[in-house]
Amino acid sequence: MGTGVAVRLKIGLVALAVLAGCGNEKSEQRPLIATVGAMAASTVAQMRARQSGATPAAKAPPARAEIEKAGVPVLRATIPNLGADRFLTIFDQKGDVVTWKTTDGSTFSLRNGILIQTRGLGPDLMSSNVPTVGQLLQNGGTHQRQYFFLGADDQTTRRTYECTVTVVGKEEIEIFEKKHQVTRATEECTRQQSGKLTNEFWIEGQTVRQSRQWASALTGYIEFQRVVD
Amino acid sequence: MLHLPRRVLSTLAVTTAFSAGAARAEIPATLNINGASGLIELPSGESQSDSKFTFSGTIVGSVARGTLSFQFTDRLSASFRFQTWRDWNTLFPADTGTIRDRSIDIRYQILEESQYVPSLTVGLIDFTGEGLFSSEYIAATKTFGEKLKVTAGLGWGRLGSAGSIGSPFGNRPPLEEGDKGKPNVDQWFRGDVSPFAGVEYKINDRWTFKAEYSTDDYVLEDETRGLIERDSPFNFGIEYQKGPMFRYGMYSMYGSEIGFAFHIILDPKNRLTGGVTGPAPAPVKARPSRAADPDAFDGGWVTQADAGPILRENLAKRLAVDGIVVENLALTATTAQIRIRSTRIDAGAQAIGRTARAMSHVLPASVEVFEIVPVVNGIGASKITIRRSDLEELEFAGDNATLLRQRATITDAGPVPANALGDEGLYPKFRWSLRPALRMSELLKGDVGLQLSASYDVRPGLVLSGSIYKRVASNTDRDTAPSASLLPPVRSDRDRYIELGDPALERLTLAWYARPAPDIYSRVTLGYLERMHAGISGEVLWKPVDSKLALGVELNYSKQRDTDGGLGFDEYDYDVVTGYLSAYYEFGNGYVGQLDVGKYLAGDVGATVSIDRVFVNGWRIGAFATVTDASAAEFGEGAFDKGIRFSIPLNWALGNQSQTTYGATLRPNTGDGGARLDVDGRLYNSIRDYHTGALDPEWGRVWR
Repeated sequence: MGTGVAVRLKIGLVALAVLAGCGNEKSEQRPLIATVGAMAASTVAQMRARQSGATPAAKAPPARAEIEKAGVPVLRATIPNLGADRFLTIFDQKGDVVTWKTTDGSTFSLRNGILIQTRGLGPDLMSSNVPTVGQLLQNGGTHQRQYFFLGADDQTTRRTYECTVTVVGKEEIEIFEKKHQVTRATEECTRQQSGKLTNEFWIEGQTVRQSRQWASALTGYIEFQRVVD
Repeated sequence: MLHLPRRVLSTLAVTTAFSAGAARAEIPATLNINGASGLIELPSGESQSDSKFTFSGTIVGSVARGTLSFQFTDRLSASFRFQTWRDWNTLFPADTGTIRDRSIDIRYQILEESQYVPSLTVGLIDFTGEGLFSSEYIAATKTFGEKLKVTAGLGWGRLGSAGSIGSPFGNRPPLEEGDKGKPNVDQWFRGDVSPFAGVEYKINDRWTFKAEYSTDDYVLEDETRGLIERDSPFNFGIEYQKGPMFRYGMYSMYGSEIGFAFHIILDPKNRLTGGVTGPAPAPVKARPSRAADPDAFDGGWVTQADAGPILRENLAKRLAVDGIVVENLALTATTAQIRIRSTRIDAGAQAIGRTARAMSHVLPASVEVFEIVPVVNGIGASKITIRRSDLEELEFAGDNATLLRQRATITDAGPVPANALGDEGLYPKFRWSLRPALRMSELLKGDVGLQLSASYDVRPGLVLSGSIYKRVASNTDRDTAPSASLLPPVRSDRDRYIELGDPALERLTLAWYARPAPDIYSRVTLGYLERMHAGISGEVLWKPVDSKLALGVELNYSKQRDTDGGLGFDEYDYDVVTGYLSAYYEFGNGYVGQLDVGKYLAGDVGATVSIDRVFVNGWRIGAFATVTDASAAEFGEGAFDKGIRFSIPLNWALGNQSQTTYGATLRPNTGDGGARLDVDGRLYNSIRDYHTGALDPEWGRVWR
């Protein structure tokens, strides 16, 4: 996106903001103006970043002590496609499903560490049928995976995959200065129409300690690290 | 929220666009300067992918065109075009008039391209206008390899005006004055026919080269008006695709002119944001198991006097986050009925899902049945009944939306329960807004003004509202001479109303909405109904929640208002009783048809047929035509009333939570025949949003 486009985009955004008008129904107007404002701000930020020819410098990851200070469980989620790297805290816990939330309102629901739902990413994984941790520890085991997306067309799209598990072996991984003895397993999934995806799990006992799991075509893979229990 | 960077979105959208067409042709169909699938000015045998909505702005020499096109089904597409000729009177200084033309095209793809068969399309260009551009064609296009497309076809009318090879179907009769505006059936495929051809070569994903041998001789522009010199039948040029949404073209035309084209290509099916944005919902709050905590399920709380108001207030607080207003709440120990008004979320299913989850947080464990009644204009539109245990059980189940829909029921709203607890703070309520408003009279011509609106909700279903418009700037001249229409000037004095009434009171009405019986809805609107007419309008609609069919009756008495925008009725001595019987039908896949039969504003009797395609995300695109016993001469230019309409939800582009839409109705000509009162709040479209025909396609959002 060149500067010209950015400027034109900004003019368009201002025009939209004006179109919103004003009135005493504040609750109805604010979201539009807020959105436009946020978009304009991010556009300007992008322009500046481009003009200076630099991508925003990656912040140095915090030390474990700093993360543990809050005294609550923490999950780290990284989404390369979105350029997002966040620390999540528990929003809701029911049975074996934990829903984690970012500070800006997106949630990720994981069943025993296996991603089953996302909310707030735009194209969301609305629900899914996933294997158990036990199945992921069975070398050569096969199972079916089903994803149900709410895509750009506002409708539910189902995708069914046939998956095979490979237990790679024992490994030691380090997450924020803490070492974990884990079993690494990969889950290779294919579907008839085309398309292949590979989820990776680093399992400690019966807990997924670290993983790289596919969420949707637009979101791509999400990398999770269970930093603080 | 985590947002997708625009860069990723546009890349993915390009990938999707290209892969969608990959099954048959590797090269997506592009648009010509007339906004139709084709080469430079020639059409091709291709069609756009289903539901593409495009705007094309082109300038060639002194001719400017603006075209909206819509791929209505896989094979059927239509265009609406504005056209102007600059320097029209150069050779005729005595002429003072300017010329503007509005025309409609329609195309049908007979064959889709396959390995050995080309795509084949038959089209009618400008088939209901003055005939300035009338042409018919058959065009075939075949793709060779991954870069080359070849088009060949036969053209009649203007497309048969150069290089003719004869007239196989007889002479082309001239268009009679009285037939202008009607489909020019007598001319179709008559007269000289000429073979045309062209090639399109894809240099890379962004650049395309096009060349064509055109058979439009430009008799009107060249020989008659001297605007264009057509020295050559060969046109060629290059096009540049910028992302999935923009395309630019530059051409050498007729051997004498340079042409420019700019296309905006939208896909109404798919959100620009890639998906529904907005923060995640609150999770379902699980109840303790009955065995573990039987006391929690005790219904004794209903006897506490303050339980109802406290619960209602807590629900209102939770739902305010999503712009959902709690109209009232009725409780028993096991059932709760909540009536809600959703002011921001654009999908009913999502508002219902959020309401159900809020109820799971607030209501005592003994309440097992949630009844959610969405309220529109103060009346219940439907009742969605969800069992709380289903909500708890299905939250994390695979395909939870389908499963929940199987267990939920959608029924008639029923009356407001006798024990419903309203909020005294909600009624009466005064609202106002001041916002800019555009009034376009043609392409890029019109007024910019300010609209001040206010409404006063006296009680649910009873609304006093009004609006005033003040023009701020204008770039168009309007004729204020009284209309010469042979019918009462119920619409043809529109320009007088705009010019002479500034500022003007547009509306001032008292509207009463009610639900007198199951499946029956009613409306009575009294006052200054619209800019040109005032009176009383009544409507009754029968629409069971799960019925594809709806029937309505409308009866109005109106008097024509003065042009000055005030309250008087002195200028026109005209009043009329109008009324209609209406049938509405959902054909499936978002196609909604409507038939109205009755008496129109000018006293003419006839029928209106309309068909709209309604997308899950709220986009609507449709066309309508009204034929009455008013003759073509009485109607004036255009012969009968027809046009297209569209409505675009802003959140489709911005991803914000808002129900604001941008829309327009475009007519080639405005006459006095087939005109209806422009009353706010007609029942069908407001009610339908919460009936199964609209809720089921968007039901996936119930868990969003």
